Amino acid sequence: MKKTLALALALVMALGLAACGGGSTPAATQAPAATAAPAATQAPAATEAPKAEEAPAEASDGGDSITLDVIICQYGPNTNDWFLGKGMNGTNFVDKFESENPGVKLNLEVVSWNDVYTVVDTRIANNNAPDILNIDVFANYANEGLLLPVKDYCPDDLLNDFFPSFIDQSVIDGTVWAVPDLASARALFYNVDMLEEVGVEVPSTWAELQDVSQAILDYYDGEVYPWGIDMTTDEGQAAFAYYTWGNGGGFVDDNGDWAVNSDENVEAIEYAISLVSDGFTNPNPATQTRYDLQDMFAAGKLAMVIAPNQLPTYVSDKGGNINMATAALPANEGKTGSSVGVMDRVMAFKDDSAPDQAARNEAIGKFLKFFYDPENYVGWVSMEGFLPAVNSAVAALVASDDSFAAWLNVLDSCQFYPTAKAEWDQVKQGVIAAEQNALAGGDVRSELDALQAQLMG
Amino acid sequence: MANLTGKKWRPYLWLLPSIVLIAVFVVYPILIVFRLSFSEISKAGIVGDFIGFRNYSDAVSLPAFKTVMRNTLWWVLSVVGLSTLFGFIIALVINQRFHGRKIVRAILIFPWATSLVIQASVWNYIIKYEYGNLNNLLLNLGIIRQAINWRSSYQVEFVWECAVGIFVTVPFVTFCVLSGLQSIDSSLYEAATMDGAGFWSKLWNITLPLVRPSLTVSTVLNIIYVFNSFPIVYTMTKGAPANKTDTMITFLYMLSFYDRKKGPATALSVIGFLILCLCAGAYMFFVMRKEEEG
Repeated sequence: MKKTLALALALVMALGLAACGGGSTPAATQAPAATAAPAATQAPAATEAPKAEEAPAEASDGGDSITLDVIICQYGPNTNDWFLGKGMNGTNFVDKFESENPGVKLNLEVVSWNDVYTVVDTRIANNNAPDILNIDVFANYANEGLLLPVKDYCPDDLLNDFFPSFIDQSVIDGTVWAVPDLASARALFYNVDMLEEVGVEVPSTWAELQDVSQAILDYYDGEVYPWGIDMTTDEGQAAFAYYTWGNGGGFVDDNGDWAVNSDENVEAIEYAISLVSDGFTNPNPATQTRYDLQDMFAAGKLAMVIAPNQLPTYVSDKGGNINMATAALPANEGKTGSSVGVMDRVMAFKDDSAPDQAARNEAIGKFLKFFYDPENYVGWVSMEGFLPAVNSAVAALVASDDSFAAWLNVLDSCQFYPTAKAEWDQVKQGVIAAEQNALAGGDVRSELDALQAQLMG
Repeated sequence: MANLTGKKWRPYLWLLPSIVLIAVFVVYPILIVFRLSFSEISKAGIVGDFIGFRNYSDAVSLPAFKTVMRNTLWWVLSVVGLSTLFGFIIALVINQRFHGRKIVRAILIFPWATSLVIQASVWNYIIKYEYGNLNNLLLNLGIIRQAINWRSSYQVEFVWECAVGIFVTVPFVTFCVLSGLQSIDSSLYEAATMDGAGFWSKLWNITLPLVRPSLTVSTVLNIIYVFNSFPIVYTMTKGAPANKTDTMITFLYMLSFYDRKKGPATALSVIGFLILCLCAGAYMFFVMRKEEEG
């Protein structure tokens, strides 16, 4: 009897501990799964607990006041201060918005990129979706009928202010489901001094890239990596885009259908893998993220890297003093390279329980008007070094910083990931897995064929 | 009589808060996960209809499933097995009287007292090829002439993960065993010495049987903890390349929040839970039967 009781107790204990799962080895039961995510390049996630987590979206605050639940992603160390601290000229976004828009309250939470998917998914599963969400993806939410069409809440003058090529990225079946909040563009950054010392020009074709890499490798006797590649789960899809777009391929064909296993793509990824196996790159592209590469570039250990427009700020923040310049991404002979644009979005969720839908939509519109008002928006975009998504901000940004003009041109010509397609999650993870398997010795064509077959099946 | 009945129920009254807490925060979530594993879950996380065992069949037919299960087995066996062995040996050593014993004990607890994410990040820096401490140290000592890529393949990376797992788990085993060792009456060893018993004989016939309860506790807890361990693998490789260094816990996290296959991820977590119950239950049963026989 005692034995049975002890066994039962032990099992209960096991149940309990297992349920607390995601935990850890005995050393640290305190590290829950999501917060244990490493690449925490930003400050800890939700340092600002929502003021009223339990408050219903449409809480009545003495009269006709509407409360909007807003989730904003943490782009950098200043985001929290801007929205909730004193980063907006001594005040913050929430206070300023509420004072200018009586009747609308914001329950705004800044969440780190590491946690935001977990937070949003959990809230949706618990029927507690935010009213306004800032995130990168939108197709799943739109396809499952969770989002409001943008035209329901966004004033026309604002909608017309967005760059049309940006808005096009958020359209499914002719309906706009989200608006871009900001963008960044990628370019090839190179260490000018290093290339001059070696006596080579920045490469514009794949063949030149190999020659230049060999020259750098020989000159520095392997002490400097000529070229950086990130094929991690963080950004492996970007690597896929850089090389396939530079070879006339890409995620989709001319009709917009998935074509991940095209001949151009296979050739492009085989080329990228050959750069690794020839020793021209950082040695562990499957685990060395873009931030590792940027660190190496800042430390003078890497000669060339494809990075977003914020790299100069990143390098100087790290104490690096690199004489750098930008160039177009190298492409295969006779092909044109295309820069990669990355865009995040703002979207509004439906809330059938809201007593007055029109008033709610109007409140969401007020939020957007305030957010994109050049007086507020220019500060927000330039604060973290991003590129704007609305025309009205361009003049002010270019006036404040000359380099913006060049980047806006890049942005004008770049391609975006096909995030409006429902299978994007699967494709993104699929191409990363294909790249990583190829790095471990797998065959590129059979990897991509398998992914394409999954997408067709 | 009423008084007696009161006495009989009183212990349960004291236990009630714990029972309520366990029911709300442990049993209820477990039941929810079981229910979810039989339901269709959309990419955005909306729970749909009952779909029987489809999530389970989807989970086990994932291409990475076999690799992940094999990794998990190696991970648990190597970390639990070797940390138990090393922990036991270290406990025997620091149970001896020597100068600085207290300092050694204090140092030993460091790996255990530090957050796993920090530990794994630090080890990432130590074995970094470009400017890692290990390469710097060996280069400065003149032991190597060229930096070594300590992460030359995913197999090697997985071995590193296991090594870090062992490193952080050893202190726990050591202190469990040490508590068992300190409860052994020294007169037993004196009597055995008088009878002419050697080191191995005393270890086998006195030490091991008497620390078995401590070893049982540490092993069962370790199986559960190590199986569920997330931070080391996630921080060091995120399962890359292509799930080849994933264990079950990191795999199901990636499956849920990166691949957005929440149904199969939930099914996998139930499978993991059942495996753990089975392992822990079987181990306890086996050990307790032995103890009773003994």
